[in-house]
Amino acid sequence: MSLITRANIARTLLLGFFLLFTFVPLYWMFITSIKPSDDYLAVPPVWFPAEPTMLHYTAALFAYRGLDGLINSVIISAAATLLSTVLGTLMAYSLARFNTGGQHLSFWVLSQRFLPPIAIVLPIFLIYRAVGLHDTHFGLIIAYTVFTLPVTVWMMFAYFRQMPKSLEEAALVDGCTRWQSLWRVAIPLAMPGIVAAAVFAFIACWTEFFFALILTSQTAFTLPTVFRAFLGFQGAQYGEASALAMVSLVPSIILGILVQRHLVRGLTLGAVRG
Amino acid sequence: MAHVTIKGLHKHFGAVHVVKGIDLAIADGEFTVLVGPSGCGKSTLLRTVAGLEQASEGTIEIGGKVVNDTRPRDRDVAMVFQDYALYPHMTVAQNIGFGLRARNFPRPEIETRVKRAAKMLNIDQLLDRLPRQLSGGQRQRVAIGRAIVRNPQIFLFDEPLSNLDAQLRDEMRSEIKRLHQELGATMIYVTHDQIEAMTLADRIVLMNAGQIEQSGTPLELYEKPRTRFVAGFLGSPKINFIKARLENAGIVFADGQTLKLPAVDAQRYAAHAGKPVIFGIRPQHIDRAPMTGSPHIKSTVDLVQPTGARTYVTFTIGGEPVMAELDAHDAGKPGDEIAIALDLAHFLLIAPENGNVLGR
Amino acid sequence: MSAPATRFDALSEWSDRHFKWLLVAPAVLLILALSVYPLLFSVWVLFVNYDFTVPGHGFVGLRNFTRVLADPVARWSLWVTILLSTINVTIEFLLGLALALAMVKSFRGRGLIMSLLIIPLFISPVIVGQAWALLLQRPFGPTNYVLSQILGFEVTIGWLTQAPWNFIALVLADVWQWTPFMFVILLAGLTAIPPNLYEAAELDGVDGWRAFWWITLPQLGPMIMLAITFRILDAVRLFDTIFVMTGGGPGTNTYSSSFYLYTLGFTQFHLSEATAGAWMFLVITAILITFLVRRLLKAEPT
Repeated sequence: MSLITRANIARTLLLGFFLLFTFVPLYWMFITSIKPSDDYLAVPPVWFPAEPTMLHYTAALFAYRGLDGLINSVIISAAATLLSTVLGTLMAYSLARFNTGGQHLSFWVLSQRFLPPIAIVLPIFLIYRAVGLHDTHFGLIIAYTVFTLPVTVWMMFAYFRQMPKSLEEAALVDGCTRWQSLWRVAIPLAMPGIVAAAVFAFIACWTEFFFALILTSQTAFTLPTVFRAFLGFQGAQYGEASALAMVSLVPSIILGILVQRHLVRGLTLGAVRG
Repeated sequence: MAHVTIKGLHKHFGAVHVVKGIDLAIADGEFTVLVGPSGCGKSTLLRTVAGLEQASEGTIEIGGKVVNDTRPRDRDVAMVFQDYALYPHMTVAQNIGFGLRARNFPRPEIETRVKRAAKMLNIDQLLDRLPRQLSGGQRQRVAIGRAIVRNPQIFLFDEPLSNLDAQLRDEMRSEIKRLHQELGATMIYVTHDQIEAMTLADRIVLMNAGQIEQSGTPLELYEKPRTRFVAGFLGSPKINFIKARLENAGIVFADGQTLKLPAVDAQRYAAHAGKPVIFGIRPQHIDRAPMTGSPHIKSTVDLVQPTGARTYVTFTIGGEPVMAELDAHDAGKPGDEIAIALDLAHFLLIAPENGNVLGR
Repeated sequence: MSAPATRFDALSEWSDRHFKWLLVAPAVLLILALSVYPLLFSVWVLFVNYDFTVPGHGFVGLRNFTRVLADPVARWSLWVTILLSTINVTIEFLLGLALALAMVKSFRGRGLIMSLLIIPLFISPVIVGQAWALLLQRPFGPTNYVLSQILGFEVTIGWLTQAPWNFIALVLADVWQWTPFMFVILLAGLTAIPPNLYEAAELDGVDGWRAFWWITLPQLGPMIMLAITFRILDAVRLFDTIFVMTGGGPGTNTYSSSFYLYTLGFTQFHLSEATAGAWMFLVITAILITFLVRRLLKAEPT
């Protein structure tokens, strides 16, 4: 009995501590985003501002071009997600049902996921500059498509593998072409998996920094790269940085929690069912 | 409706040789059952006929036309799958009509044909339901409806009843049999269940390890099996195999008891005299004999398993377990001394070295 | 029954015959164009001068490699990468395992806590770095103030500018973001252990710690391998939080390999040297991948 209560206390302490650890930075950032600049350096620190302000939000969005970054992020993430989900699903179907290219093809796709980005992005940068894709929406969209393909392919590969193939075979015998059996039977049935894969691809694009940092500058820059403006010793734009962070993290957290059920599959590229 | 001819068919999956040279001609309107233990290649053979698998070697003709390179949709076959393969996102009516829609039939015609098929199968009141709202037996009917609505040349069944419970299985079995009588269509049916095979088939094709072991009418296979495998596969309870020697005096079992053969049989098997044989006899052909008089074997009852009208009694002959199906009131109890009469109109002698039935 | 063959039929036959290749073609072509081609292109860059500070693309032999190899910052950044990855992954694993064990039995509010715990996974690392910088930074952040209150003397740590505190700050941010990753995968592994194993063990008189050592850990083995492998392969790329929190500083003190190569290429514009460095890093990563994935495949039960 005492063992059980001890375990309970330990569990409560651990979870409580970790939740605190998780939420303190988020809370402080949120508070900073609505805290008047005068409160920044107050001692003791202002844990909740007496007069919350939205000034930092307007400044971040307009003066620091946060809105442009936001719009770019929406366009680029959505387009890359669409492309990656469509191409990834088609490829995954082929790999799952026909074992196309044997293990080599699927592992080749997987290996893309583990290439160090710096090794890829350097030559892409040089090529993009040469062909005029640097700092274009299209350039970042296709880069993100390739960067998320391993995830969508492997997630959908695992999804199709656990779907019975007799339904598609029944469609073939019933008079469908391969394409019809894919379009009218396999795709509708795989929809939950496709949506989950799409959401993970979107979050990956939405939060990506490194590619955007190198492949864009003044036109196609995405939300995470706007933070460059707040770094270093150019001034203390704590409020603006926090406001922009809040704008960026809310959509991806909501999306992430919506597909929580598929999280394990997403994190392990389909290796674990969850 | 069409006949099917399979010539020299082989199928490899990578290094695994699943179908090893099948030659089979199926007549128009015939109900053929492919039966055999799991892994014998029967399902692969069926799927190759459907076009879901490519033949590695050999040809398949449907209605006189080689279809090796024809897509499933162009073969005009219908198939009922083991897991029913109903489209979960479509209603019963859409499921049944799917094949017609895929072939661009006019809407009104689809509707009348779906209704007719549903009526035939007693599922016309379920047309608006989704598959997950149906019981196992109802799903099975929808799957069959999806096949018959298209009026295909050939029906293929891949273990369609194995997911049903025993009672429903009996019911659907009769249903399929009646359907065949009504439609008169060519049907190929795969099962591992010998009772399904016996009851449904015009012709049974018994497969083993990728090859045809024997094919013929159910009674032919039951009464005149060509190999030990066929004899052992069909019939319930299983046929008894007893190691023995064939001598001029008759069959000599390991414990020295001798069974004298009728003159005609003794003559038939004379060439094998002096050799070891396997004596095969079905439990139905064993009975109790009076303790004195007519020729009999002596043994002691080991195990008694009543099933109602009949009781399965196990004892040993020459040290090997033998089961007999006896009248319930005749069975005795463990430890009883009994005299056994073997019906010598129905026995088999098998060569132990190759499993072939002798005298055929 | 059969209609006369039309051109459409021929096309449909053809596309059915090549179906599986048509499905993979677009994705494969895109990967070839944006991953394989750039890598091949960069092989050329390795041996020429490609430098925005020196015009022309003359052949330079192995100079790009030797320069990187001779650079003490390159070696230092590799050590930083190894050190930080090791510490990060170790702490994340231990904390993640503890959390998973705490969450494996169902209790009231478990679903909600689950949703809260995974939130860091959906936040851009840039923002994570930003959030921790806000919390730690002098004089703005409240950390030093809180520590002073607790410890009773004035704490004036430069969390982002003073070694070793800058490393601790980076570890905090990484642990904050990625512990949930370990936790989620290990929890999936724990829930997959059949409960009758524990019941059988209890009948055999095994419980508590011994059950953990004899049942939980061996059963969880493949999952632990998987989680650690995936995490290591991401941890070695460490860049975003360094970029935001320390800027590699003070000096080059917190340069990770990725950060070093980035500054070499994009602030010093020695692009061919950076490419050479990136290739060496790629080779090291590839060896690591081969080693880890081999072990992973061996550990996989099926």
